[in-house]
Amino acid sequence: MSVPVTDHDLSTRQIHAGTENDLTQRTLTVPIYQSAAFEFPDYEAAKQMFAQTRPGFTYTRTGNPTVAVLEQRIADLEGGAGAVATGSGQSAVAVALLALLGQGSGKHVVASEKLYGGTVDLLTDSLADLGVEVAFVDPTTPGAWAAAVRPDTRAFLLESIGNPLATLPDLPGIADVARAARVPVVVDNTLASPALYRPLEKGADIVVHSATKFFGGHGNALAGAVVDGGTFDWSAEPGRWPQFTAARARWGGQSLVDKCAGASPYLHLVRAKYVHDLGTTLSPFNASQILQGTETLDLRVARHTASAVAVAEFLSGHPAVARVHHPAVPGDPGAGIAARDFPRGTGSVFSFDLAAPGDAVGPFIDSLRLFKLVANIGDTRSLVAHPAAMTHCRLTPEQRAAGGIAETTIRLSIGLESPEDLVADLRQALDGVLETVQTPGK
Amino acid sequence: MTQPVTTSTRHRGFTTAAVHAGQEPDPLTGAVIPPIYQTSTFAQDGINVLRAGHEYSRGSNPTRSGFEHQLAALEGGERGFAFASGIAAEDALLRAVLRPGDHVVLGADGYGGTNRLITKVLAPWEIAHTPVDITDLGAVRAAVRPGTTKVLWLETPSNPLLGIADVAGWAQVAADAGALLVVDNTFASPYLQNPLALGAHAVVHSTTKYIGGHSDVLGGAVVVGTAEWRDAPLAEAVGFQQFAAGAVAGPQDSYLAARGLKTLSLRMERHQANAQAVAEWLLERPEVARVLYPGLPDHPGHALAAAQMRGFGGMVSFRLAGGEAAARTVAESTELYSLSVSLGGVESLICYPSEMTHASVKGTPLAVPTDLVRLSVGIEDVEDQLDDLERALAASS
Repeated sequence: MSVPVTDHDLSTRQIHAGTENDLTQRTLTVPIYQSAAFEFPDYEAAKQMFAQTRPGFTYTRTGNPTVAVLEQRIADLEGGAGAVATGSGQSAVAVALLALLGQGSGKHVVASEKLYGGTVDLLTDSLADLGVEVAFVDPTTPGAWAAAVRPDTRAFLLESIGNPLATLPDLPGIADVARAARVPVVVDNTLASPALYRPLEKGADIVVHSATKFFGGHGNALAGAVVDGGTFDWSAEPGRWPQFTAARARWGGQSLVDKCAGASPYLHLVRAKYVHDLGTTLSPFNASQILQGTETLDLRVARHTASAVAVAEFLSGHPAVARVHHPAVPGDPGAGIAARDFPRGTGSVFSFDLAAPGDAVGPFIDSLRLFKLVANIGDTRSLVAHPAAMTHCRLTPEQRAAGGIAETTIRLSIGLESPEDLVADLRQALDGVLETVQTPGK
Repeated sequence: MTQPVTTSTRHRGFTTAAVHAGQEPDPLTGAVIPPIYQTSTFAQDGINVLRAGHEYSRGSNPTRSGFEHQLAALEGGERGFAFASGIAAEDALLRAVLRPGDHVVLGADGYGGTNRLITKVLAPWEIAHTPVDITDLGAVRAAVRPGTTKVLWLETPSNPLLGIADVAGWAQVAADAGALLVVDNTFASPYLQNPLALGAHAVVHSTTKYIGGHSDVLGGAVVVGTAEWRDAPLAEAVGFQQFAAGAVAGPQDSYLAARGLKTLSLRMERHQANAQAVAEWLLERPEVARVLYPGLPDHPGHALAAAQMRGFGGMVSFRLAGGEAAARTVAESTELYSLSVSLGGVESLICYPSEMTHASVKGTPLAVPTDLVRLSVGIEDVEDQLDDLERALAASS
């Protein structure tokens, strides 16, 4: 069962959680089980493990000891009942939603209009191919979510800090709407990480992560995770959730809620059906890389967050910047929710709009020296991206406008370098923009 | 600290041992591949109460131990010791057995780095040496200084001239002198030659080469038999040096080396089949003055190699009729063959030893000919290799 996370013990848990298992050699760090398969003790054990009546590792596609430690650690840091790791954040979102939408009659999602572009691609293209419909609504207005709910709605989906504008959702308000509508809330907690924000404490039922970002933190390995809070009661309305409540041959003629008594039927479905069938597996080596990253999670996130505030404050005072999308900047609409729900800050991924025509974006980005032009976030290095041309390029102009992304919106992911150096780099590049704008013939 | 190698009846064949020795499934989870124990230290059950014999990864680490067992089994040795590089392995062995005032008989035709280690690093610690022609047992015997010669150091096939030495003959000289015979078995690999069975007391390897086999890991190893040295097992002296001086192989590197070693026999068969074809093709080329490959019947060591090795290996050297200029041009003109030091990877490499691997002996009596090119023949399709060499030879003439 999950144990509530307190801010002071997160530092300890990010290093130790998941390692309680008695490893034969007593290594102090987690061994890398770089093995595709596992030898069964005997034939009977193999039979039982395949029938899923006896726990054990069979084949790394569905479970591996190194990956299992990461799963336990992420679940622990989020205060969840359990987790399933995946090969990427994208696959985590996909299998988390497939488990809710893949069977039964409900294929409708209410989603935040401020989402990572890859998640929008998944919803409006690949899942749309399978009949999924989605309504995009404002994550700061719970009333909009209530208005968008349909009888066949089976999931709410939002980001704890929106990518790329650092939009903060009113998750407690949205969770109230979800409870009344009897719909589980899925929160992508990638940009916040549990060091800043734990969605399960704010009413979410399921948390997804791109662990590539702050959990790993060094830009060196892809990983994702699905965490179940264990709070949603699938049996309350069995007709809505046949994937959990109806007997299936696949589960030995049982329903998942009966089979998984005491454990998570949701995660069993994610792992034993979707990760198993689709093969969205995390490699043991990558799991080891992410595990090492988690050990310094709160140290890094605190530094990232403080530097981001310093950079945002600098940007808000520069004449080449039209607007800074960061809750710490005076006048930002996120200030109220930041004060209520984000006492340790709102992370280090945010955006700003250039006070210049769209064709100034390319020269501005190319004149940065320290910020690397990269389609990633949550690295020790500071990164820059142009959402309209990169991470959110497949959205229609209307979708981007609804998401508040302008042609001149620039996304930053603030790294661990000296904030003075970061400011100096931005200053020289912004001064260059000013020079061009003020002397157009040059 | 490290458990002795257990010879299992399940591991009769070379490739069976390569795949299984020291590589048993993890007892806890059944993981078919033993885990990479990426840890520096081990929790103890009480003060100095070690659960599985491991205290600190400099002393021993399960992943490294598994690789050491695997390699020792393939060399027919009692104990294996893995190091961070081939030179680190050689250094550990030499410092474990030599004392100031001792003398080494050193095969002259050998890796330049070994020569540099003995002449530049160990000489100031009063280690003397005499270089000898590895094919002249009379010269080897004459070089021995009774009472002070403690090590005979031999590399066969030699680098880069592919000379073949009589290992059993050298072993007899060592036995008569009360010295240790060390054989650098890097070129042959344990699949083609087991010097311990021919009378050597210790084998060294750059595991970077054929053992790793994929040019993705640096490493070295010492394997010893049951020899005693200064009234104690030689294995103890090397083990103490490994622990106390600490140039050990890391867990990730040990994993990669163990992974490569499992396919050694398959790779060596292809390497040497290709090398034989390349050597025979070079013989027919007018640009080539001489081909040095023990698999050619007219090689002076051919019969000896056939007797003491299971094959002739994947290294081929040749001398250019056009001299130094032609050799340099060939080395810089290949495309498939990468111009590079090192050897033994799946990919073909070409090297100009005089200025590269053996630059440390340039200008000395041990200098290698300036018209010499060395090939590490890879496992690519041999037709592609010959096409590449043909273009390069054409460019040189």
